[in-house]
Formats: sequence, structure tokens, C-alpha cells
Amino acid sequence: MSGIKQICGKELARVFKDKKMIFSVFFLPVIIMVGIMTLVSSLSSSAQKDVEAHNSIIYLQNAPAGFDDFLKAADKECDIYTVSDRAGTEDMIKNGGADLLIEFPEGFLDEVSGYQTGAPVPQVKTYYNPSEDYSRAAYDTVSNGVLEAYRQLLLSDRVEDMEGLTVFTVNSDNPDMVIQDEEKASGKVLGMMLPYFVTILLFAGAMGIGTDMVAGEKERGTMASLLVSPIKRSSIVLGKVFSLMIISGVSSVVYVGAMVAFMPQMMSGMGGDMGLDLSLNSRQIAMMAALLVAIAFLYSAIIVLVSVFAKTVKEANSYVMPVYMLVLVLGITTMFTTKTPHEWFYAVPIYNTSLTLQGILTQEVTMMQYGITLGVTLVLGAVLIGVIAKAFESEKVMAI
Amino acid sequence: MIEIKNLTKIYKLNKKQMKESKTTDPIKTAVNDLSLAAKQGEIYGLLGPNGAGKTTTLRCISTIIKPTKGEIFVSGHEVQQEPEKVREKIGFLTGDIKLDPQFSVDYMFDFFGRLHNIPEDKLKTRKEELFAYFGIKDFSHKKIKELSTGMAQKAAIAVCLVHDPDIVIFDEPTNGLDVVTARGVTDYLKKLRDEGKLVIISTHVMSEAEKICDRIGIIIDGCKVAEGSLDQILHDTNTEDLEDAFFELYRIQKGGK
Repeated sequence: MSGIKQICGKELARVFKDKKMIFSVFFLPVIIMVGIMTLVSSLSSSAQKDVEAHNSIIYLQNAPAGFDDFLKAADKECDIYTVSDRAGTEDMIKNGGADLLIEFPEGFLDEVSGYQTGAPVPQVKTYYNPSEDYSRAAYDTVSNGVLEAYRQLLLSDRVEDMEGLTVFTVNSDNPDMVIQDEEKASGKVLGMMLPYFVTILLFAGAMGIGTDMVAGEKERGTMASLLVSPIKRSSIVLGKVFSLMIISGVSSVVYVGAMVAFMPQMMSGMGGDMGLDLSLNSRQIAMMAALLVAIAFLYSAIIVLVSVFAKTVKEANSYVMPVYMLVLVLGITTMFTTKTPHEWFYAVPIYNTSLTLQGILTQEVTMMQYGITLGVTLVLGAVLIGVIAKAFESEKVMAI
Repeated sequence: MIEIKNLTKIYKLNKKQMKESKTTDPIKTAVNDLSLAAKQGEIYGLLGPNGAGKTTTLRCISTIIKPTKGEIFVSGHEVQQEPEKVREKIGFLTGDIKLDPQFSVDYMFDFFGRLHNIPEDKLKTRKEELFAYFGIKDFSHKKIKELSTGMAQKAAIAVCLVHDPDIVIFDEPTNGLDVVTARGVTDYLKKLRDEGKLVIISTHVMSEAEKICDRIGIIIDGCKVAEGSLDQILHDTNTEDLEDAFFELYRIQKGGK
């Protein structure tokens, strides 16, 4: 036991006593993440503001008398032109020089006012370019909004009692229309994202340090000095794995904390409620904590195992990459599962933790599923520790 | 004491290694049926050319690698049966074993002291003693990576002696050291011997073996070809100095060429 403690202490000292290491392991990723997200969100919000501030350039063909004024009244900021060269206008829309073309049939107002039952209904056509933000915005406001209002206006000339045409409305005055368990709903949003982030962060946090801890020590020739000390090989392995667990745990707490703290700032431009005001009960917290410790153990064991078989840190990093990819993919899959998972899914390592974490947050996981997940994770971790200890015994693997 | 009985160590070479050593035989016998005994209170020197099997033998004693055949007893503990017990008894140092460059000499000394379960007060006096002897005090707070080769070697020696081992195994102890430091190290080995400890070293430097070893075992191609005190070896080979004796033995081993 003392050996495990000493080895673990040394590995922790390597990280926590070195200011550069603390910065690069715990703070740099947070700064980069917050920086990138803030940049992206501010860019997207400024893009949105730009679209809002833009004066739509709208071309009209055969516009009925008074439509110009109607359009101006609805959208004050638009510039209205009359089409003189149809093909040229279409080109302008294609090139982003114009945003929208509204084509009325010739004699539109006569057709409308002279309407007889059974006669063909005149058609207004609009043309826009969906790959241009300005054009899309103009289409949204004019084609869906202004033209509908114009239709209502013309209709009111024809029909005296508009209410009689409406027959009924849907939810025009019903603020209580959403009936759901708020906790469960916010759990759903968070449950989609959190397992994904936690799995990635736990693994990413341990990756760089873990490869250095074993392969780096081999590369530097310092491993042999441990191997001639009177402690068991398994103590060395456990000491390293435990310290890696602590480091990855601390880093994921820092990352998640930073994410929650900076979320409003990062998401300001994205709009939408992220559902992060989640309240967890003590049972959920205990279940999550135990599971996170178990998965940190498994990940640390995987990383150490991969590093044991590498001769250099570089080699170890290239071995660990595919594993990281796998963890990423398995994490993502839980974001898009809608079906109730089969029982046996909970026996698939790594994937099951994502599922169960999600289940804990939405309070849908059974004790049985939780037990299987925890058991499989711990057992696999223990088996890997055994394999690593065996590898430590092998002079070929240790290359000494 | 150390007792080696019929030690054989065979390496299986992979294709790359076979190419490197220009051989088509995938099996390399590094040590071939070697037996020797070294007692407390002596400096035993394994002398031989590069690749003779000296380091392999020392590594087998230190439990870093496992014998293919044969047994090695260190203070009565067999290396494969009780490797942890063996490691408690020995201090092992080679040029390949290095200290973690990120830590200070102080930290590494304390770290290995604790791995050896040495009580704090004893660790402190031991540190005073060794650091004073090797002149480490001035740079003990410095990180290993900031030290010169000689300083780092001194630090490594002090650290490997932290637990005051009964048996000290040095693979090429003065390799890469300047004459002053090298003399300091060999003097310390003599001091250890005088304290009743067994010191076993490997070397290819004849003068070093002549000066400090009480008994010498000459190894050529993994086989022990001679053993005894310097005088005995000179007498048996009918030569004037160790170098001549060595070449005489080398000639006989290689079939008179």
C-alpha cells in the first residue's frame, strides 16, 4: 500500500508542483475552449445583427397600385425597385445584389376584384436565394409575413365578416399549453450533452499525462529505477493509474465547472435555453459520482495499458488516438438515441456509462442497469490492471 | 552474498535485431551456464569485452530480467521466487538507469527512501551523510535536468544507496565520470567493502579492475573463463598484468586465434 501511495504522490507532484504543467493541463484547454466558443458565438450574433440591420432590396414585377406603400409600412427598412430587366434581376439575386423578387400576374387587382366562383385564383410568385443570408431573411419576412397580411387586406374587401371565415383558432390564448416535468425536461437537454462532454473530458484530461507517465518514463530511462525498488510491479501500476484518475478527475471538474460558469457568455449569440439550471437530488449525485470514479479508473487503465506497449511518448500518443476516437464516437451515439436501449447495451463498456449517465439525469435508469454498468466498468478496469502488471513483468515489453 | 548457479540467459531476436547483429540465428545466448559466488566484504569485478554478458548477468541479479535457466541467490533469496526481497537487499546502478529529470535531488532521495520504507529520521541522517560525502549539498535543491553529467551520476549513486544496502551492484561505475569524481566513487566502493558489504561491479577497464577488485571473474562470450584474485589469475595465465592475462584467455576462448 505504501508503495502505491508513494508512486501516486510522485506522479501528482509531477503535475501539481509544476506551474507550467498546471497551466497546460487544467487552464489552457479551458481558455482555448471558452475563447473559441465566445468567438464563435460573438461572430454568429454579429452576423445575425448584420442581417437584421440590412435593408432588404426587393424587386417588384407588375406590382398592384398601393403595394409599394403596403410593403413600406410593413418593413420600413426595405428598398423597393421595379423590374425593368427580368433576367438581370434574377442574376442579381443569384449574385447577392438583390434579395427578393415578387412577381404579380398582369392585371392582378382586376382579377382579384372580378373574381367569380370557380374562376382560377391568381398566383403571386416570389424568388430568392437561400444561400444568401440577406435574401433568406427577406424571403422569411416578406413571403411569409407581408404577403399574408396583404392577402388578409384584400380578403377583407371581399368578405364582410372575417371572423366567420376563421371558424376556430389554435392556442391563440393558452399560456399553459406545455405540460411536462421541468426537471425531467432539463435533464433531457443536459443528459444529451453531459455524458458526451464528461466522457471526452475524462479521457482527454488523462491522455497526455498518462502517456508521459509510462511511455515517457521508459523513454527517459527512469522506469528501471522504479523496477529495482522493493515494491511490487502491481503497486507501481496502481500508483500510476490512481494518480491518473485523480488528474483526469480534477481536470474534468475544472472543465465542466468552466463550461457551466462561462455558458451564458459562450452561448449568448446562439440563442436558446441550454437547460443548465438542473437540480440533482442526492441519490442522483451519489450514483453519478460512483460511476464517474469507475469510468475514470477504466480510462486511466486503458491509457496506461496502451502506453506500456509503446517505447516512446510519440508512439504512445499515436496508439491512444484510435481509442480516443472510439470513446468520442460511443459518447456521441448516446446523444442521438431515441429508442429505449436494450438491456445488453448496459454490458458494453464505455458505451454503457454514457447511457447510464444519461439515464441518471433523466431518472430513467433502473438499479439493475446501473449495477451492470458499474460492475462491468470496474471488472474490466481490474482486468486491465492485471494485464498491465503482467506487462510490467515482461522484460520485452519494458525494453530494459 | 550472491550465488549464481548455472545461469543461462537466451534472447530471442526479432528480424530487425538479427539484421543489426548481422546474424541469421534468431537465438542469442548472452550468458552461458555461468556460476559464481561473491561474499560479503569483497569487491567482485566482472571483467569482459563489450557484449560479453556482464550487464546481462548484473540485470539478472537485480531482478530486472529473468534467467532462462539456473538460479541466483541474493542473501539467500532466489531472484525469481522472492524478487521484492532481493530488491530490498541490493542497490543497483547503471548508466541506463536515470533519475526523473523534473524532480530535485532532494525529492528523488526522499522518494526512493520512502519506497524502501526508511523511517523519516533515519532518512534525514542518511541524506546528510551521503550528500556530504558526494558533495551534493550545493545542488541538492536543483532539478536533475539542470545538473551536469557528473553531478547527475553522483546524485544517482547517492539515491541508489539510500537504503544502505548489503549488496551494491554497479554496472560500469566510473563510466563517463572525470578522474576526480571517478576516484571519489571507487574510494566509496572500498569504504563499503570495508564496512562488510558486498560490492559487485562490471567493467572493461583493466586498470580499474586491477586497482579495486578483490576478486575478478573474466567473462568472454557469456562464459566465465577465469576467476580469482589478481595474483591468482596472473599466476594461472603466466602473465605480468591483467591486460596480458585477459588476451591470453581471450586467445584460448576463441580457439587459439
